[in-house]
Amino acid sequence: MGTRIRSPLGDRLLRLAIVLVLLGISAAVLVPLLNIVALSLSDTKRVSELRGLDVLPKGFSLIVYKILAANPYFIRSILNSVFITLTGTTVNLIVTAMAAYALTRPSLPGRRFFMLLVIVVMVFEPGIVPEYLVVKKIGLMGSLWSVIFYKAVNVYYLIILMRFFEEVPPSLVEAARVDGAGHWTVFRRVMLPLSKSAMATLGLFYGVMHWNEYFRASVYITDPLKYPLQLILRQFVVLDDTSALIGAGTIYSYDEAARLSYAALKAGTIVVAILPVLMLYPLILRYYTRGVMEGGVKE
Amino acid sequence: MASTAALGARIRRDGFLYVLLAPALAYFILFHILPMAGMRIAFEDFRLFGKSAFVGLKHFRTLFSSPGFATVIANTLILSTMKIVLFFPLPIVFALMVNEVRSSVLRKFVQSVAYLPHFLSWVVIAGVWIAFLSPTAGGANELRRFLGLPVLDYMTSKEHIRWVLFASETWRSIGWDSIIYLAALIRISPSLYESADMDGANALQKMRFITLPELVPTMVTVFILNLGFFMNAGFDQVFNMMNDSVISRVDILDTFVYRVGLVNMQYSLSTAASLFKGVIGLVLILSTHGMAKRVTGKGLW
Repeated sequence: MGTRIRSPLGDRLLRLAIVLVLLGISAAVLVPLLNIVALSLSDTKRVSELRGLDVLPKGFSLIVYKILAANPYFIRSILNSVFITLTGTTVNLIVTAMAAYALTRPSLPGRRFFMLLVIVVMVFEPGIVPEYLVVKKIGLMGSLWSVIFYKAVNVYYLIILMRFFEEVPPSLVEAARVDGAGHWTVFRRVMLPLSKSAMATLGLFYGVMHWNEYFRASVYITDPLKYPLQLILRQFVVLDDTSALIGAGTIYSYDEAARLSYAALKAGTIVVAILPVLMLYPLILRYYTRGVMEGGVKE
Repeated sequence: MASTAALGARIRRDGFLYVLLAPALAYFILFHILPMAGMRIAFEDFRLFGKSAFVGLKHFRTLFSSPGFATVIANTLILSTMKIVLFFPLPIVFALMVNEVRSSVLRKFVQSVAYLPHFLSWVVIAGVWIAFLSPTAGGANELRRFLGLPVLDYMTSKEHIRWVLFASETWRSIGWDSIIYLAALIRISPSLYESADMDGANALQKMRFITLPELVPTMVTVFILNLGFFMNAGFDQVFNMMNDSVISRVDILDTFVYRVGLVNMQYSLSTAASLFKGVIGLVLILSTHGMAKRVTGKGLW
């Protein structure tokens, strides 16, 4: 870049315009999010002063979070979401990796048939009612496992991992096989160590998918104590139904609750739902977009 | 005999692969193949207990003769057109703009910010957008006030709701969908730009005559593959952003299937709609995938 001659004026003006547009886009993404954070942190007495484009709280108070933390439904929903996310992602990674290994072995008898099955799963969705009836039949109704198992494997991620396993030099696998290693040993000692970053990437994507899950939970789970956080969020913030969150009446145990705005409480719920994603976000950027970002920076 | 022995040896050697495959296989069968088989209830009067009676195409006739279904199809096509055709150039323009930024710090910042909404659930996005578009203290109406325009309740406005969906989809995806173009931009040989510099080309000319043509194969692939999902139109988004005032403008196939099936418990009718959607989707995906494969020489399978 240093060797480049000074660009003509027109180019510099164009670049300035582009930078302004990109900053505008960044602001359009950030302002609505920061406004929600500001709303949740504002002093209850001054929250009505907060306008829609403000990104800093009016005063400072954690009362919203204290009220949420005292709500048994809210706390349980976080625990449910953490359970679904951790267990679900573990199940996803194990099942996907084992299947990807088996499906990439040329020696797998019936390999073409299984690949056809994968493609059929990918291109045809049966719809929610037939799935609902199966979940009912196999006795997963009302259980968190329904939300975990309905997407035990994402076929697109399976294919990505298969592509990755195919890149592993066959000589490495052959060498281990000649030494008498079984498939399990090759899978554990050769394949998995070589695909740590691919597994980490898939893990992050599966994790975000589970954390953000609300729809299957709304269909399969009826007990509000088993709701994941996103479902509480949907009921409270999107549908404006407070019964899921304050059914227990805990909100009224606070003196300040009388003055507390629902908008601020909703904002706090949104922030808690975003927080884990934000915490994982640097990792996501590092693993998934590393190639693109670094490649883009190198010149 | 020899072949039996060989088969025995092969199973001893590779039989364990079936153990590795078994959990995924069980999942495919339970959550995909069995539900697919279960779609036969579209041709039956479904009963939870006892035997369901075969009724042929009765539910399909009900479906196609109901005026509500025509609206649902129209909404699906309109919203898909907006999100696939109208939205299509935006990530390309975004990638081209990011590509022109010289400061790597600024570029990283813009990219990190723009990719973020992709990882938020539609529940969260709906919550954020409902707040932002709120007629009382929302940011959008603050802007309108600033411009001297009257307050507008976007979420309940029949004229605006589709554009709200379009805008929120853009908000969520413009950054993320640009990644594939940025990856393609990196592969463009720098020598092309160097010789253009020598010829005295300006930035706009380089963009027009070098960068854009190099992106065409990626554009074609992305566009074709997106067409395969034309019948989807974004269930999670519509499900979380619609309300009774605007349902006639945004009710799509998937929200219809949900409402008829799981709210009204008309299992057979809902499954008929799913089957209709599934078959069209299947034809679309197979044909667009074939097209993409012919154009680029590689596909997903």
